[in-house]
Amino acid sequence: MTTAKNPNRKIIKDKDFELVQAIIAGQYDLFHDLVKRYEKKLYNFSLRMCWDPSDAEDLVQETFLNVVRYLKDFRHETKFKNWLYRIASSTCIKKRRKSKFAPERELSLEEFIPKNQAAAQVQVPDWAKMPLDKLLNEELAEMIHQAILSLPEKYRMVIVLRDIEDFSTGETAQILDLSESNVKVRLHRARLFLREKLKGYFEHGE
Amino acid sequence: MENDHNDHQHCGDDSDHRHCLEMFNRLSEYLDNELDDITCREIEQHVEKCVPCFSCLQTLKQTVALCKQTTNKPVPKEFSRKLRELIQNIPKTTNP
Repeated sequence: MTTAKNPNRKIIKDKDFELVQAIIAGQYDLFHDLVKRYEKKLYNFSLRMCWDPSDAEDLVQETFLNVVRYLKDFRHETKFKNWLYRIASSTCIKKRRKSKFAPERELSLEEFIPKNQAAAQVQVPDWAKMPLDKLLNEELAEMIHQAILSLPEKYRMVIVLRDIEDFSTGETAQILDLSESNVKVRLHRARLFLREKLKGYFEHGE
Repeated sequence: MENDHNDHQHCGDDSDHRHCLEMFNRLSEYLDNELDDITCREIEQHVEKCVPCFSCLQTLKQTVALCKQTTNKPVPKEFSRKLRELIQNIPKTTNP
């Protein structure tokens, strides 16, 4: 679809299109439907971004307030969901900048490369061969949650968007304002970090 | 990539090491089907011969699968109520 103002501008009619249009047109009460549609997803995204559940609640709240503030400027040039996560991610980054956390550490690939033949895994471990339904339980889910939280934020955001929220590389790059190659680098390191944590958990109960 | 990986010891000589590291660096892209056919075949041929890389690929694959199985927690009712109240009370001037 094109518009009179800019004939080359593409409008993406996703599942939220009509609802968002109605809100922009003045049916403000429908904002509750938008909250209902996304509060659980945003709350869980925030829980994976913040150590403290009350910070996660603040993040959801601020994200929705920013949506209220900026929705009139949304032009449907991307899916609404992607725009929403862009707001959530930038709200999260801004909150972090205001906080007193130490600077983020970088993950280098060298950390994940076995230093000698003995350290290299010569066999596929049992946990990597088991069906997921036999492997996953509450304890492991909590361990994965904690491992994700222990990742430096810039890697955590990428792995959460790619492997949990299921955004593509291109979408993640757009949400975080990064190049696709940067997303790929961060994702690979984040996955290797998580894999090390899982190895530790299964092999040494760490 | 950003670093040299001189101490990677999966394979025999230096050129093997370099090739091994190149493959290792691209395992995520391989799992995500983001590589061209030639590079895919190269990785497949490599992991057939390099057991540590094969093991790394399998564990990485399982790591991604576990991540994708992560379930969402319910939103606390009290927070959900507060959120709706907040949205309800936003002054009309800030409405979209």
